[in-house]
Amino acid sequence: MAHYPPGGQTHPHPRQEPRYPGPITLARLEEIFRDCVDFVRRTVWVGEDPERSVTLVYLSGMVRMERVSDYLLRPMAQDPELARCAGAVPMMERMRQGALYNLTIEARDSLDQVVFDLVAGWCVLMFPGETTVLSCFTGTEEKRSISAPDNETVLKGSKDAFVESLRTNTSIVRRHLKAPELRIQEQIVGRQSATLVDLLYIEGITNPHLVEQVAAQLRDIDIDGVFSTGAIEEYIVPAERTPFPLIQYTERSDRFCAGLAQGRVGILIDGIPLGYLAPAVLGNFLQAPQDKSSNWLLATVLTVLRYFCMLTTLLLPALYIAMVTFHQEMIPTRLALSIIAAKQNVPFRSAFEVIVLLIAFEILQEAGLRLPQSIGQTVSIIGGLVVGSAAVEAKIVSPAVLIVVAVAGIAGYTMPSQELGGALRIWRFVLVLLSSAAGLFGTVVGAAVLIVHLAGIESFGVPYLTPFAVGTGRNPREHVLLRRPMPQIKDRPAALKPRNRRKQR
Amino acid sequence: MKRTVLLVLLLMLLLTGCRRYSGVLPYAREIEDMELMRTLGVDDAGEAGVVVTASGGTSQEETEVVSGQAGAISAAVLELQGEGSSYLYFGHVTQLLLGEGLAKRGVIPSLDYVLRDVEMRLETAVYLVRGGTAEQAIEAAADDGSATDRLEALAADAALTANSMPRTVKDVLAELDRQSASFVPAVLADDGLTAAGYGILKDGVLVGWAEGDAALGVNLIFGKVDADVVEVEAPDGTTAVLRVVGAATSVRPVWDGDTLTGFRVHCKVDANLAEGSAMPDEATLTALEEELARTEADRMAQALELSRALDADYLGLRHSAAFRKPWRKEVLLGTSSMEGLTLEASAQVVIQRSYHADG
Repeated sequence: MAHYPPGGQTHPHPRQEPRYPGPITLARLEEIFRDCVDFVRRTVWVGEDPERSVTLVYLSGMVRMERVSDYLLRPMAQDPELARCAGAVPMMERMRQGALYNLTIEARDSLDQVVFDLVAGWCVLMFPGETTVLSCFTGTEEKRSISAPDNETVLKGSKDAFVESLRTNTSIVRRHLKAPELRIQEQIVGRQSATLVDLLYIEGITNPHLVEQVAAQLRDIDIDGVFSTGAIEEYIVPAERTPFPLIQYTERSDRFCAGLAQGRVGILIDGIPLGYLAPAVLGNFLQAPQDKSSNWLLATVLTVLRYFCMLTTLLLPALYIAMVTFHQEMIPTRLALSIIAAKQNVPFRSAFEVIVLLIAFEILQEAGLRLPQSIGQTVSIIGGLVVGSAAVEAKIVSPAVLIVVAVAGIAGYTMPSQELGGALRIWRFVLVLLSSAAGLFGTVVGAAVLIVHLAGIESFGVPYLTPFAVGTGRNPREHVLLRRPMPQIKDRPAALKPRNRRKQR
Repeated sequence: MKRTVLLVLLLMLLLTGCRRYSGVLPYAREIEDMELMRTLGVDDAGEAGVVVTASGGTSQEETEVVSGQAGAISAAVLELQGEGSSYLYFGHVTQLLLGEGLAKRGVIPSLDYVLRDVEMRLETAVYLVRGGTAEQAIEAAADDGSATDRLEALAADAALTANSMPRTVKDVLAELDRQSASFVPAVLADDGLTAAGYGILKDGVLVGWAEGDAALGVNLIFGKVDADVVEVEAPDGTTAVLRVVGAATSVRPVWDGDTLTGFRVHCKVDANLAEGSAMPDEATLTALEEELARTEADRMAQALELSRALDADYLGLRHSAAFRKPWRKEVLLGTSSMEGLTLEASAQVVIQRSYHADG
């Protein structure tokens, strides 16, 4: 029976270091991996000499059998020089020096390290009477092949999206960024999952203080496991009470590498096919990866359009309620007459109509996401078109409200970042409620609170409203609203405090 | 946590419906519960005060006309509210009609009502009903559409007819305050609300009318001419049709030493040959230009003569002159009287082109 302290409050307990103390013995390993059907041990004779035996230990399924057979077992059985070694220590040394064909062979004298090696797909060779063992990497490399990103459409650009294998992802980055200054630091996160998390940056460009800050945040994570993106995201960004994203993610390797070259820090997590970039400010979430591939004029127009859509999705329902319920004089006369005609015989108040339709919109969206794609589309069609038009015809909602909510919803879909879109949806509800209570006054107060909130948050020391709220130095040419031609953007963003600001001649 | 709960409880007070707490919030009123009034008419009712008439709707639907009488405009408007089932909303009133009788008693209270009322706008266009009442005009227009649509069409065509121009409550109030005189477009109380020149106000009271050529002269002085058609006699005895497509007027003060003796109004007119043969020879052209200049100068002179005769600077000559000579501002704006001043009008015409295919 589980024991809970009085009051139901649990207390943090420190992580045990090392997790498995004591000498490396076969009995200890068998105890640690008791009741594990995949734990395999096999004693082999070196050079067919029963007096010289070695115990091979591995976890079945985690190692690649061909490698074990070809690189370890075959030379041990067939190499006559190994059979002539006088004792275990010279034999181990000879194996390390090249008698075994395996690429990676490490001597281990810590039980903790050996246990985690086995879990990671290493094969352990144990010598009778010795507390030091040889650990050989023979892990399987079963992984999804590199493919085009699913959620970030690529029209012009590379199609090598990140996959679940961390080492594959780092290799993709290396192929894009061939600079030897690319640094990849690794940490293990999660008591149970022991997930590898890599920190990437370019030495000489990225602010070292920023690197240290992110690394410290990663070091501080003490959780059970990294099974979702939130496990890392929510721990490494400062604990802000905000729905707005403070770290940017992408599945596109080119975008990730562009971020590194800009002076940002990248994070890759084993098992998650995404790359994270820090710090990230509001402007980053309004830029689509396609912008850099498009003509600068087109990219500028599209960026302005996205800002307009952001304001539309945030404010349109609130403004509609404010104008229809409190400030009718703001509506052009003919439009007001049309709205009156459309709302005749609709039994509900405007604010109630808008709130109910916004909730219905969220429900439809959620239902579409959770269902398989084919059924999801059907739900959207039935919900959006059939129920929508039926509700209008039955005079349950007015067409004007339906249009307002639909326009606000569609405008929200232009956000390149789903996280930003989600935050705007939450604030849209807040503004609608304020507008229902106090009209334009409430909307303006809500918008002011939102701006104050945004102005108060930072992402790794960079104000979230950069460069709107803070100076960016002389001649700022960064892509915010206006995307200048590439040859004119000579500097990296000043807000990142890169060690080398100039990025081109 | 406690602070959050306290804040939520305080906010919930606003939802209790108790006016003591909710009074800080603006008052909500659903748009579908409203009847949008678009034209407001005010007439004199003698000892009984004023009659207020309002109409809403568009020509596509039935126009609703309501009327109320009380000692003051506010009270009459309140009486109107009791007539209909919906709340009458005056935030969309774009036209204000004032009866002739009321204008003769004074327009200031009506304009002041627009200025002070929270729903009405200063951008509301104002018209005088010549020879009738605003109620008659609104009722007549309602039989054939709505007064609002008719007046909006009149305002849109004003520059084409060149004998009317829209004026807002703000314009008139500002001019009455600045120069003690102003002018307001007039309409007849027929079903078409026909334009009938301008009513001239002095100290807020209707003192005269500018009609016919005088009204055209007013438009010339204000440069509100887009397509006035003028027939002039050519040297060969035929009639030439000229279309006036633009006018720019300057006002110069005339001094005798430091004494202001009058104003010289000069108008540069652009015209095109609208009908007839191709562009005539130079001599004929000059003759046509001189003839049109005489006509336009005469029109302006009639408008100026009204200003002198009524002793009302309704054209704002003193202010126009003060813009040109700001160092004489004190003398020019020291008084608004036009008595004893010589008012001269001259025009210079340029015929730019002919509408004939050969130019």
